[in-house]
Amino acid sequence: MRAARDERARVRGAQRGSASDLEALFRMHWPRALRAAYLVTHDAQAAEDIAQESFLAAIRALDTFDRRRPFGPWLHRIVVNRAIDWSRARRLRSEVELGELVAASEEQPELADETLAALARLAPEHRAVVVMRYLLEFTPGEIAEALDLPRGTVNSRLRRGLDTLAEEL
Amino acid sequence: MKRELERVEIPDEHGARERAWAVLSSAFAKRTPASRRSLHWRPALALAVVLALVAAAFSSPGKGVVDRIRKTVGIEHAAPALFSLPSPGKLLVRTDAGVWVVQRNGSRRFLGGYREASWSPFGRFLVAARTNELAAIEPNGDVRWTLARPGVRLPSWGGTRTDTQIAYLSGRSLRVVAGDGTGDRVGCARRVARVAPAWQPGAPRVLAVAAHSGSVRVYSVDTCRLLWHSKPGPVPTKLEWSSDGHRLLVLAPPGLRVYDARGRLLAEDRPPNPARDADATFVGPENYGVVGIRVRGGQSNIFAPRTLFHARGSLRQVTASPDGRWLLITWPTANQWIFVRADGKRIRAISNASSQFESGTFPKVEGWAR
Repeated sequence: MRAARDERARVRGAQRGSASDLEALFRMHWPRALRAAYLVTHDAQAAEDIAQESFLAAIRALDTFDRRRPFGPWLHRIVVNRAIDWSRARRLRSEVELGELVAASEEQPELADETLAALARLAPEHRAVVVMRYLLEFTPGEIAEALDLPRGTVNSRLRRGLDTLAEEL
Repeated sequence: MKRELERVEIPDEHGARERAWAVLSSAFAKRTPASRRSLHWRPALALAVVLALVAAAFSSPGKGVVDRIRKTVGIEHAAPALFSLPSPGKLLVRTDAGVWVVQRNGSRRFLGGYREASWSPFGRFLVAARTNELAAIEPNGDVRWTLARPGVRLPSWGGTRTDTQIAYLSGRSLRVVAGDGTGDRVGCARRVARVAPAWQPGAPRVLAVAAHSGSVRVYSVDTCRLLWHSKPGPVPTKLEWSSDGHRLLVLAPPGLRVYDARGRLLAEDRPPNPARDADATFVGPENYGVVGIRVRGGQSNIFAPRTLFHARGSLRQVTASPDGRWLLITWPTANQWIFVRADGKRIRAISNASSQFESGTFPKVEGWAR
């Protein structure tokens, strides 16, 4: 309750131009934003870009942000949707960086971490649901709303995700 | 599970945080806090009315109801601003002032006084044209490179992961430049119609252009070999490949044609005079369905092929979302943008489209990318 009040005050401060309030919001939410993006994409560089772009989007939309809504879930929703988009784009068709015409490796990096390797067995859309439920602590209903999915689909993805992870871990 | 997810090590986590904070604090310092607009007001009643309109709009007996409810031109109780896009992706919009990028969450960024622009094939960059300049830009507004050429028009960016190319018009000539701004050269056709060339997805360096005769000509750009061409006819106003590159849509008012990748005519729409097809796009999961705008007198219809939406006045453009689930229809007569789900089951209207972009003219959608 107090944390929520504090967050609202920080948002209000940032809307009024307070850099220290923005920094407090950043320190509060960056670790989870980056982690969520990384767990969905499995690419540290992309995760950094996604989390950073999501914060930039949040700054751009700060003036119109409804302070009655919690900031964290709003930001994390942007992060996860962008991470899913990125993963889909990479799976289907990736694009060379301008000025870097050297072909990047299509191969997946070897995943040293057991949990990461287990997550890699799931499609990005399934990973996202697991990450939102267990890292970001969204309810299935909130996940369904955030990802524009039927509630049943969220539940089945969670079930399948947990089954797969249980087998691997 | 939470513990497992939290203990995964992220490479250079500390460095990422510091770099991000440097970027964000700099962006924040440049930001001018705007006067607070309230988003608290959610027009529940308006939403209910819009939903009722939708429900009515897509059943034949209901259409009359819609027309009766719609007493003035435009959907009543449309959202007063573009708060968000209904589907993932970002829009590229052009007004008389220049080019804007609209993100999924509704945030808008003005990129500068460019007169035309289009997305790179995977939506990570965009190419824009000024009178005598071609520029590659990131969606956040950073300019990656520029190229000075006379009379630059209608740039189009295509290609693969390792090899992207931009085709554009310079005066009446077609020119091609690599995605990194190098190797600018004359393209394969010297006198072309004023319509954006279209790169064939999945077939590197194959480009469709429209000739002055109205003939569509498809070239292998490396060798300038003409792969196929259509018969002369009305001059096309739009060339668009399906996302898999197997179909080419040629909008040539009053009608439209669809070819396969070898140039065989697969379908043709020739509306009876005085109707005309004003715009069309591929849509749907397979991306082979065509949805179009047909204007007849003071009425417009979106057909796909059944009527999805009916309006007084002119509907101008139809653009499909990257996932093919939504259509953005622009309606200058009502100064509205209408988002219609491709299955016709949902609709969202945005009023005051011009003022969203601080423009005196009605905004043109240049593309909707991932």
